[in-house]
Amino acid sequence: MLPRWLIQLYSVALKEIRHTVRDKRMVAILVIAPALQLGLFGLAVDFDVDRVPTVIVDHDRTEASRQHVRQVLADGTLVRRMTTDKVDDALHAIDSGDIAVALVIAAGFERDLARGRVAHLQVIVDGTDPNRGSIAAASVARYARAQTRLSVQQMLRNQRTTTRIGPVLDTTTTPIASAPFPDVVLLPRVLHNPRLKTSMYMVPGITALLLLVVTVVVTAMGLARERETGTLEQVMVTPMSTIVLLVGKLLPYVFIGLFDFLLAMVVATCLFDVPIRGPLSVAFIGTTAYVLCTLGIGLLIATVSRTQQQAFIGGLLFMMPALLLSGVMTPLWGIPDWLLPLTRINPVRYYVEIVRGVLLRGSTLQDLGVHIAILFAIGVTVLVFAAWRFKRSLA
Amino acid sequence: MSFWTSIVHVLLRVGAMAAKEAAHIRRDPQTLAMALVMPVGLLLLFGYGVTFDLEHLPIVMVDQDHTAVSRGVVRNFAASRELIVSSELESVAAGESLMRNCQAVAIVVIPEHFSRKLARGEKAEMQLIVDGADASTATQTINKADAITNSAVPIPAATPVAGVARLIVDTWTLYNPAGRSALLVVPGLIALILAMVCVLLTALTVAREWERGSMEQLFTTPIRRGELILGKLLPYIALGCMAVLLVLAVGAWVFEVPIRGSLPALATASLLFLIGMLAQGLFVSVATKNQMVATEIGTMTSLLPIQLLAGFVFPVANMPKPLQVIAQIMPATHFIASLRGILLRGNGFAEQWPHMLALLAFAFVMVLVSSAKFRRRLD
Repeated sequence: MLPRWLIQLYSVALKEIRHTVRDKRMVAILVIAPALQLGLFGLAVDFDVDRVPTVIVDHDRTEASRQHVRQVLADGTLVRRMTTDKVDDALHAIDSGDIAVALVIAAGFERDLARGRVAHLQVIVDGTDPNRGSIAAASVARYARAQTRLSVQQMLRNQRTTTRIGPVLDTTTTPIASAPFPDVVLLPRVLHNPRLKTSMYMVPGITALLLLVVTVVVTAMGLARERETGTLEQVMVTPMSTIVLLVGKLLPYVFIGLFDFLLAMVVATCLFDVPIRGPLSVAFIGTTAYVLCTLGIGLLIATVSRTQQQAFIGGLLFMMPALLLSGVMTPLWGIPDWLLPLTRINPVRYYVEIVRGVLLRGSTLQDLGVHIAILFAIGVTVLVFAAWRFKRSLA
Repeated sequence: MSFWTSIVHVLLRVGAMAAKEAAHIRRDPQTLAMALVMPVGLLLLFGYGVTFDLEHLPIVMVDQDHTAVSRGVVRNFAASRELIVSSELESVAAGESLMRNCQAVAIVVIPEHFSRKLARGEKAEMQLIVDGADASTATQTINKADAITNSAVPIPAATPVAGVARLIVDTWTLYNPAGRSALLVVPGLIALILAMVCVLLTALTVAREWERGSMEQLFTTPIRRGELILGKLLPYIALGCMAVLLVLAVGAWVFEVPIRGSLPALATASLLFLIGMLAQGLFVSVATKNQMVATEIGTMTSLLPIQLLAGFVFPVANMPKPLQVIAQIMPATHFIASLRGILLRGNGFAEQWPHMLALLAFAFVMVLVSSAKFRRRLD
């Protein structure tokens, strides 16, 4: 004979599942939509800044100026879309938004270079998108640095300096120009995502985001609806304890969340070639902990809202900041100090780190134990608090 | 005479409907809070929280050279504000394990014989092992480490060297010289907030009437469909306008977001977008008649795509062609683009008319589709 609470649990869970499955649209929303959206958004996100539309204004019109323009454009960050003689035309093109960068070369450019003077390249950047603007400007600056470095080295080579100076890295005491080019080179090697593809790290992020949207809002609104329609009172008069009721109501969503995660992993590996370098079981444990958190928050929102509309607004109030402070859209390293405490209690942040860790970095339970523990702690705390509020609000 | 009385009657009915809806909003302070307080809160959070300039990136130094010179390199890295030397380890493997639990973004390896090579005047190589799991952090880390290395090298580009031809780049950044992310975020945020207020609230309020059966009660009154729709939407249009003004005001006040372009163009674009999104919300609610389904569909068709597809942060130009087509259909893409033009680049109708036309077309189609759907359900 099964214990009574287990039968009760089973029947509540069954009721919840039937309730959800009866509306086919809800099934589509819970199961198919997340995978579909992951595919769509994963393809859409690309932070790489290249092919920035550029207008060339060459007042020098010499072999040297043309060659330098060619070389500046060579790395593909900037792409020539327009050539004009008038800076005003270039500015107007930037105003209209068709062009993002103007490369202006003043007359006398070749002469200055030939005479060993300083030659100026002017870059006019549309700053509306600061990321694009700074990368475009940096690509020209990098080119100029490399050119200058080349000519300095060439000069030093020509001089065949006999002075040997210990290459002390403290620049204040070293006579700079007379050093025989002892050069330090930094060779970058990118692990985990060598081609630095945006989709590699955004796909785990979007997975977290979709799980959030599916679980928080559905729990919050589902309970609010039961309260609105009065069916919650009817369930409450049954001999069931509140805990069994809540667990039974939430349990199906834990499985839906895990299933969605599995689907997301299929999309990630098939469509985006995201590797799974670590043990997937760790990601599953993490997902369970994460879903506990989101369900707890959904429940908490439900206890403070009377209508579905309020429940949805509550869900948004949590989701928007949680998303922003999770490191999904922008890395957390730039966030000001006063916002840091908020990121430390944000379950989305830990979950994203877990998924990225397992998939890309090959992290194991040992690496991510703290993350998972924190996530479970948040989840349990929120759930207990929400259950307590739920019980009190009904009594 | 009878024409004017009928006009008055239409206005009265629309007004009554709008008053009823306004009462709903008034009685529900949470909705008001969402429409007015949340935008400001989001603006502050996004304005301060979204930044592309990363700081305090933790790196690990692995010094295998153990000489005064290599210590100097470590000190150089430690002195920077952008990178933090979180620990100094003996092996790369130990550093990689720190990377796996997110405590380091990169490892700088100074190999053996580093200082000896330098002393011989050779090229000495250091290695930077970067965690590519977050590509934008990785890119910035590489750039920053490169800059620090360059500044430590005896021939930096910035120091004058007599008689050597040098290329200097003068960068002039228009519209947002300080690169403040608020200026990037505010236009997208306005679109996001408007979409939230419009699609989701209309979806919810209209779906609620269906769910509770009060829609049938409304149909028994002499109100016509068009009047009903108009009356229901008017308070939300007003709410949306207030939200836009509030966001613009706070943006201008806190983040110094300018309004350089034409105000009529700004108002036109906002209103067209508003109508399009309201009609979309109406369509969702008429099609679903269920608050929960309407919300989920509203979220998935407006909230998420605006953040990811409409050029809010991720540029549309980088997307694959089919997605660019989808982005072009979405009104938010055009709205964000024209807001950027109007607010930052000082544009007006002359530059932005194609976007406005797209907004108009979307609003027109959506109003048609949703009222057609609405009518059919009525019979």
